[in-house]
Amino acid sequence: MPPIIDKQKCNQCGYCAQICPLDVIKVIKNDDKKAVIVKYPDECWHCRACEKDCRQHAIRMRYPLSHLMLHMDVQKEG
Amino acid sequence: MPVRIREGIVKTDFLIAGGGISGLQAAYTAAQKGIKVVVAEKADTRRSGCGANGNDHFACYIPECHGDDFELVVRQMNQTIDGGPWQDPTMLRLWLSRTYEVVQLWESLGINMRPTGKWNFEGHSMPGNQKYHLKFDGHNQKPALTAAAKKNGAVIMNKTLLTDVLVNSEGRVIGAIGVDISEDEPEMVIFQAKAVLIAAGSATRLYPGITPAYMFNDSGCPANTGDGHAMAYRAGARLANLEMAGGHAGPRYFARGGKGTWIGLTSDINGQCITPYQDKPSRENGDIASDIWPGSYRDRMQAGTGPTYMNCTRTSDADLDYMLHDGFVSEGIDSITDNLEQNNIDLRKSMIEFGSYNIGLSTQGIDIDVHAMSSVPGLYAAGNVVGNVKGNLAGAAVMGMVAAESAAEYVKTVADEDVSDHPLIRERQELYSAIMDRNEGAYWKEAASTLQNIMNDYCGLNIRSEAMLTAGLTYLRQLKKSAYDQLYAENSHEFMRVLEVLDLMDVGEPMFLMALNRKETRPPHKRADYTYTNMLLNDKFQTIEKHGDQVTLDFRKRF
Repeated sequence: MPPIIDKQKCNQCGYCAQICPLDVIKVIKNDDKKAVIVKYPDECWHCRACEKDCRQHAIRMRYPLSHLMLHMDVQKEG
Repeated sequence: MPVRIREGIVKTDFLIAGGGISGLQAAYTAAQKGIKVVVAEKADTRRSGCGANGNDHFACYIPECHGDDFELVVRQMNQTIDGGPWQDPTMLRLWLSRTYEVVQLWESLGINMRPTGKWNFEGHSMPGNQKYHLKFDGHNQKPALTAAAKKNGAVIMNKTLLTDVLVNSEGRVIGAIGVDISEDEPEMVIFQAKAVLIAAGSATRLYPGITPAYMFNDSGCPANTGDGHAMAYRAGARLANLEMAGGHAGPRYFARGGKGTWIGLTSDINGQCITPYQDKPSRENGDIASDIWPGSYRDRMQAGTGPTYMNCTRTSDADLDYMLHDGFVSEGIDSITDNLEQNNIDLRKSMIEFGSYNIGLSTQGIDIDVHAMSSVPGLYAAGNVVGNVKGNLAGAAVMGMVAAESAAEYVKTVADEDVSDHPLIRERQELYSAIMDRNEGAYWKEAASTLQNIMNDYCGLNIRSEAMLTAGLTYLRQLKKSAYDQLYAENSHEFMRVLEVLDLMDVGEPMFLMALNRKETRPPHKRADYTYTNMLLNDKFQTIEKHGDQVTLDFRKRF
């Protein structure tokens, strides 16, 4: 599920939810508790805005297999 | 329950739809000119649009570097990705002549336009020509422009998308309707403005992407869904060149822009370079092949001569490091670097397969004049939503500035007009309430998927014909009717997605009509029933506009 939020590091400031260009992250409020969740993972652009702007360094991006980087080894010419 | 309308109309001189590059530049300039300006942005201007995470090339003319022969500059710029036949020559001259102004302004705002300490031009240029693409570090361009616009007095309303332009009985702009999606329930916001700038970007997600099951895998910002094209068309503005849209290119299953930032050679499966432009990878020239022929990756696969690769195995270690850790960061595509690193892919050994992406309607859209005004008085447009200007980042920035300068004069000549009883407000409230009130129905992705299939199968890049286009247009209208009757949303996020699909349908319809009316073959528009190129249409743009139910198609001369 891209992106992945480290719950230990996250301080629920909600900045990632605010700046996500695709509005995929949401701050959920239950009574006086808050949680930051990736509510719409399929709508992630994988732009890393959340990861870059998180002051807690609590977010990393995972690239799904659907977005595989197709590559081919090449024999280097002498 | 009807969707709530916020109490109190937001009154301003100049309202901007979209806080991307052109929108923020316009907000900065307009505020500096002393007029009241509001930016309505559906995400957050600090990280929205195609420039969300950065850019690294700014096409520009700096006389001290390029000399005084402006006509030479124009000719050579026309051979780059920022030129070409689908731009009015007068508009090319206009934006190009004012690029240095914007470059200097951006530098003063804290955007690093000279990472090497001097004006440094790399990539995107034809070998042998002068280079015009300033290699800068735009990773902070959006926060920097946002801060500058706000400091000048511009008001930015994030999480607020504009959905319709309000025009009076004379056809002049008097305001707009917006929707705030920051809370679970959407809230309508009514704007009264003397002038409106549409700076809403391209139309991604109109066609199937490279991974149809994941429709947000797109080289352009997937939040750009033709909202501006649709709003303008509904308001009676003239659009241009929709049927001539092509696509971008980049890593095959991980769609990213910024192909010009790669330093490598376009190669076959054996690593042999297949293009005539260069035989050694170099950061100075980049690889212009994909600028000239971004459809080549698709064409080669269809011809059975593909696949085609970006080959960086002969790129020097220094240039590779520069590309992966400077260039991609400046351009905002460092998720490629991250993806490669996470998957242990070493570009010194492996080539990356490139693919041609589908139609994204970047620089096909609203037809504007030298004041950046559309055919609707008071309605301006800038950036990728414009149909007769290219220039990408530079074109967006300069035309945003031009629009603001023009609007600052225009708003002095018109009076405020009360919009509170405008009939479109109630009409939209009824539609929005119906969507939110349904307990069951069609999820937005159902309509989005069918729309993409119809566009691709009946108005795609492979082949078109009167029979195919007529059938496709009929199906699109059937889908549209069903969508209006059935789409539902559980919260404001889903509601935004519903509005995006409805807007995309409003872009697809004129595109079909224009493709039907262009009775010739002129790449990328290929007609099975009209295989010749009609030379009488050289130097002409096709336009469309709609007033009530009356649609007018025309071919106008380039100016």
